Amino acid sequence: MNFNIPSAVKGVGELLRTRILPEIGDNYTANMARMATAVLNISANWADNAAGLRVAENAAIRALLGEAAGLVGGGLAEAAQSADPGLRVSELDAENHRLRLLLVEAQASIELRDNAPARAMDQRIWRLLEQIEMARAPVE
Amino acid sequence: MSELEGRIAAYLAHRMPEASQIAVDDLAQIYGGSSQQTYRLRARWSEGGSEIERRLILRRDAPAGLVVAERDLEFNVYKALEGQGIAIPRVYFLELDPAWLDRPFFIMDLCPGKPGNPFSVDDPYAGHGEAIAREFWAILGRLAAIDHRAVGLEGLRNGAVKSGLWSLELDRWEAILSEQEAVIEPIIRGAMRWLRRNPPPEPAKPAMVHGDYRSGNFLFTPDGKISAILDWEMCHIGDPMEDIVWAIDPFWPITRHLSLEAGLDCWEAASGIMLDRSALDWWRLFAAVKASVIWNTAEASFISGQTSDMTIALSGIRAGHFHRKLILKLMREKGTMG
Repeated sequence: MNFNIPSAVKGVGELLRTRILPEIGDNYTANMARMATAVLNISANWADNAAGLRVAENAAIRALLGEAAGLVGGGLAEAAQSADPGLRVSELDAENHRLRLLLVEAQASIELRDNAPARAMDQRIWRLLEQIEMARAPVE
Repeated sequence: MSELEGRIAAYLAHRMPEASQIAVDDLAQIYGGSSQQTYRLRARWSEGGSEIERRLILRRDAPAGLVVAERDLEFNVYKALEGQGIAIPRVYFLELDPAWLDRPFFIMDLCPGKPGNPFSVDDPYAGHGEAIAREFWAILGRLAAIDHRAVGLEGLRNGAVKSGLWSLELDRWEAILSEQEAVIEPIIRGAMRWLRRNPPPEPAKPAMVHGDYRSGNFLFTPDGKISAILDWEMCHIGDPMEDIVWAIDPFWPITRHLSLEAGLDCWEAASGIMLDRSALDWWRLFAAVKASVIWNTAEASFISGQTSDMTIALSGIRAGHFHRKLILKLMREKGTMG
């Protein structure tokens, strides 16, 4: 089967926008339908790379945690030596949450230290967070 | 009458035993925030030999919203602020018993005017932007000057607190975030820690804070006057800076119509309080954090199936990204990225 989620979702959104929306008389419902087309479009654009984006993000966090372990200690290096449990988005999200939690704890520890290596690592964490946010930007 | 119109008419008959021939029609759901369902309607009845007609608004709890609001808070605030120089609708009935309309609700006047869309590329205030912005700031100043205890609102959140309001509000938003955070957001968490490490100066006095005071949450009339400040669900006692920075947040900035300094002058003249402008930066970041938590809640409500409201879904997606980016920008300005 070659049917795929982005094409299906975009198709449904297009149907909603061009055929169903013009037939809705009630303003409130029409506005909800208009917003639904935007949600569908964004979802379609996210779907194709949903797994790839999370795999890359998890790898980037693991790499940085590995470096931060030298500053933080406490078993962080071992905790960061994980692998993605599978390629389902739900599995990747669970691992993503675990890694993000470690990153939050590491940064909270690092930012309290007043020395150059800690400040540099804190800055690198903020820059990684910026990269992550921009990679996840909704595309309409 | 539709089924819902009939149920509303039955409720009005229950609350107005002296009225007869009660009819409700022209019922339509309208957008009025995402924490409650808002309907406009027309009610007609006979009373004391007169025929009476009222255009009303009914606000009913939504199955799930952006934030968990105390259901009677908004009604109580409207009631308490009557005659205090704040443009608000008159409220009539609060009903907490779900037997009538499935969920708690209250009924108030439909005020004249319309909301301005802060996201419109056109002028949302039809050429009256500056006058409306001046009135907007003056009303907020008058709100800050009100003694909440004198109007019976000592029960508002933080109502007896004298200092450290910033910390209590930060605690509150952190707790809300923790309740529904499926995937932790290190950006929001990092900003919260920065806010705790760098506390703001204390306000001149604790004040009534609307909680969502911004473009889009008030009505204006064609002659350029504000006819009603709406959506008081998050009202509490806090630092007046909280509402000020919310109003200038770049997602819905009132500064599009009047400079910040001119707006603050209006606020100070109306409140009689001098603002410590050095607190603005702290509260700007706080506003971005608070907004991010609200959008995070919205996203979680939609993902969990608690709501299928598309406003909530889109807020979680678009506005969530906008405010996390804003946090990053503000943190970069503080030198956190080198």
